[in-house]
Amino acid sequence: MGLSRRAILSGGMLGAAAMVTSACAFAPAKASTVKPSASDTQPPVKPVIDGDLVYFNWADYVDPSIFDGFKKQYGVNIIQSNFDSMESMVAKMNAGNAYDLIFPSAKFTQKLAQAGKLHRIDHSTLTNADAIFSNYTYFDNPWYDVQSQHSIPFSMYKTGIGWRRDKLGDLTGSWGDMWNATAKGRTYVLDDRDEALGMAALRLGLDVNTAKADDLSKIVNLLTDLRSDLRAFDSDDYDNLLNGNAWLTQAWSGDMTTVIGEAKNPKQYGFEVAKEGSPINSDCYAIPSSARHPGTALLFIDYMLKPENVIKNINYIGYPMPVKGTEDAYASLVESLPQCVVTVDDLSKDLVFRNGTVAQEQARDAAWTDVQAG
Amino acid sequence: MADLMTAPPTEPQTGAVPPPPARKKTQAKRANRLWSLLALPGTVWMTLFFVSALLLLIALSFGTSDALGNPHFGTSLANLKALTDPAYVRVAMRSLLYALLTAVLCLLIAYPVAYAIALHGGKYKNALIAAIVVPFFANYLVRMYGWSVVLSDDGPILRLGRALGLSPNVHIQNTGFGVILGLVYGFIVFMVLPLYAAMERMDVSLIEAGRDLYGGPLRTFLTVTVPATRQGALAGLVLVFLPATGDFVSAQLMGGPNQIMIGSLIQDKVLDALNAPLGAALTMILLVVLLIGMLGYLRRTRRDELDVLR
Repeated sequence: MGLSRRAILSGGMLGAAAMVTSACAFAPAKASTVKPSASDTQPPVKPVIDGDLVYFNWADYVDPSIFDGFKKQYGVNIIQSNFDSMESMVAKMNAGNAYDLIFPSAKFTQKLAQAGKLHRIDHSTLTNADAIFSNYTYFDNPWYDVQSQHSIPFSMYKTGIGWRRDKLGDLTGSWGDMWNATAKGRTYVLDDRDEALGMAALRLGLDVNTAKADDLSKIVNLLTDLRSDLRAFDSDDYDNLLNGNAWLTQAWSGDMTTVIGEAKNPKQYGFEVAKEGSPINSDCYAIPSSARHPGTALLFIDYMLKPENVIKNINYIGYPMPVKGTEDAYASLVESLPQCVVTVDDLSKDLVFRNGTVAQEQARDAAWTDVQAG
Repeated sequence: MADLMTAPPTEPQTGAVPPPPARKKTQAKRANRLWSLLALPGTVWMTLFFVSALLLLIALSFGTSDALGNPHFGTSLANLKALTDPAYVRVAMRSLLYALLTAVLCLLIAYPVAYAIALHGGKYKNALIAAIVVPFFANYLVRMYGWSVVLSDDGPILRLGRALGLSPNVHIQNTGFGVILGLVYGFIVFMVLPLYAAMERMDVSLIEAGRDLYGGPLRTFLTVTVPATRQGALAGLVLVFLPATGDFVSAQLMGGPNQIMIGSLIQDKVLDALNAPLGAALTMILLVVLLIGMLGYLRRTRRDELDVLR
C-alpha cells in the first residue's frame, strides 16, 4: 500500500478541518447539576494562612509591589495566572482548575454565585472592609450578589466617549457624538456585545438589557447606520487613541487614565459620559468554592484593602475603587478628565448590564452577529 | 502538514511498471504488510484525536449551552436554525471569496518563484527553499502582529508612502486588501512547496524538445510547462484555500467591520458568546462546504491518474 497523493491530500483535508475547528476550545461537557447554594451551606471562609495563593486575574491589574509586601508579611508564595476575558476565566474554572482568588465582573459574580461556585465571605472577618461597606452602602446589597455574600467590590468604571480634542474640539455630551462627521473613518465602537448594543439602546431610549425582537431590530438598524463611519469594532480603546488610528472611540473610563498617563500631550484627549446614560460596571474579589487555600485568599483581599495599598493600586491601574479615603487620590489622577470619577450617585442609577435567560442572551448574541456582519 | 509539502504531486508511475514476475509477488506482499504496519500509529492517532474530535463536534452542534457556558449534548435543531440568519451566509460568502482570491494570488506570486528556484536555482536550490520556509517557523499570530504594526496608519510603509506623495486617506489596515495581504503572506508557503516539487520533477528536456519543434517561449510554456505542473498548482490551490477559508487572525488584525470572516464568527460564538454548540454547528456547515469542494478536487486528480495509466 504505497501512500498515494490522494491519501496524503485526504489527510490534508482533515488537517485543514482541524485548522478550522481549532478555533474552538472545548469546555468539558459534564452536566453541571446546578445546586444554587451548594457552597452556601458551608461556613464562610476564615482568614488564616492555609497555603500559597493561587491568583487568577487580568494581566497587570494589581501593583506588583503589593504581591511582594504580602509574600514578605505572611511568608507564602503567590502563583499567578491571567485570563484575557471573563468567558475564558469561567472556561478554565469549568475545566476543573482550582484558583484561590478570582476577579469577576459584576455580571459574572452573579452567574458564579448562582451556580454555587463561590465561597461565602463574612465581611466582619476582614479588618479593612468597613471602608467599603460603611461608606459605599450601594455594595451592602448590590444587584449581582445578595448582601455581597460571595464578593467584595474591587474596582468601578463607566462607559463613555474618548476623543481627540485637537481634532474634534468640544462634543455635545450625547451618544449622538458617535456620529461625529469629522471623525468619520476614525471612529471606533467597543468590540463588546453589551457595550455596543447598550450604546444604541440608550440613544434610542430603550432598556440597555432589552432582548425584545422589536427593540433589537431597531438597535441593529441604528448600529448598521453607524457602521459606514466606523473604522472597526475594537476594544483596544487606549491603543487606538494613542497610536492615532482613533479620533473618537467608545471607551472605558479606566482606560482613559492609561491614555492620559502615556500620552505626550494628555491635554488633547477628552472623555465624556453621555446624558442619555452611561453604563456602569464593577469588578469584584471572589473565592471559588473549589479553592484549595481560601483562607490565604481572604487574607490577601484584606491586605489589598489596606488604604495605602488601595491608593497604590489606583495609581497603578487607573481605576477608582469604592474605598473611603482614596477618592482624592483618584480625583487627582484624572484631573484633566473629571468625568472618569465614579460617584455613589452614579452607582445608585443601576444602569448595569444584567444576565438574561439563555434565550434572551442568545437573542442578543444573534443581534450582535447581525451588527458585526453588517 | 509537513508531509504534505514534500508529497510528490506527480508520482503515479505504479501502473507503468511491467508486472513483476510471480517469484517476487510474495516479497511485494511482505513489503505491503510492512507499510500497513508503519501506517498504523498514524491511523490510530488520527482516529483518536481527529475523527473523534470531529464526531464530538457534530454531536455538539445539536446540543445546548447553559448560563455558565457548559455545553450539553442534545437533539436540538436550534443551532442549525440560527444559522439561517442571512448574516452567516454573507460572511461565509465573503470568506470563500477572500480564500479564493488568496489562493489565486498565491499561485500568481509563487509560480515564478518556484520556477526560478527549481529550474535556475542551481546549487542554491535548497538554500533558497529554506529561505522561504524558515520564516514560517515563527508563529503565525506573531508574524501577523508584526504586519499590523508595519502597515498601521503611522507605520513605516504608509509614512514612506505619504512622504512620496500618497494621500493621507489611504489605509491598508482595516481594509479587504489588508486582510487578503495577510492571508497571502500567511499561506503562500503551501503554494510554493508543491509547485516547487512539481517543477523539480519536470523533465527539462521536454521544454528543449518544445523549443526544437519551433514552439515559441510562450507556446512551449503553455503546452509543456503548465500541463506538467498543473498537479502541483492544483494541490497548492487546495492547500491554501482550505485554511484561508477558516482563518480569523488576519481578519481580526488587518480587517475592519466589513471584513470579518466566518472564522471570526466561530471564535466569537465559542469564546465570547459561551455558545460552543452554535460554534460547532457553524464549523460543521463550513466543513460540509469545504468537503464538497475537496471531493471535486479528488475526483479530478483521480481522473488525471487514470489518464496517466492509460
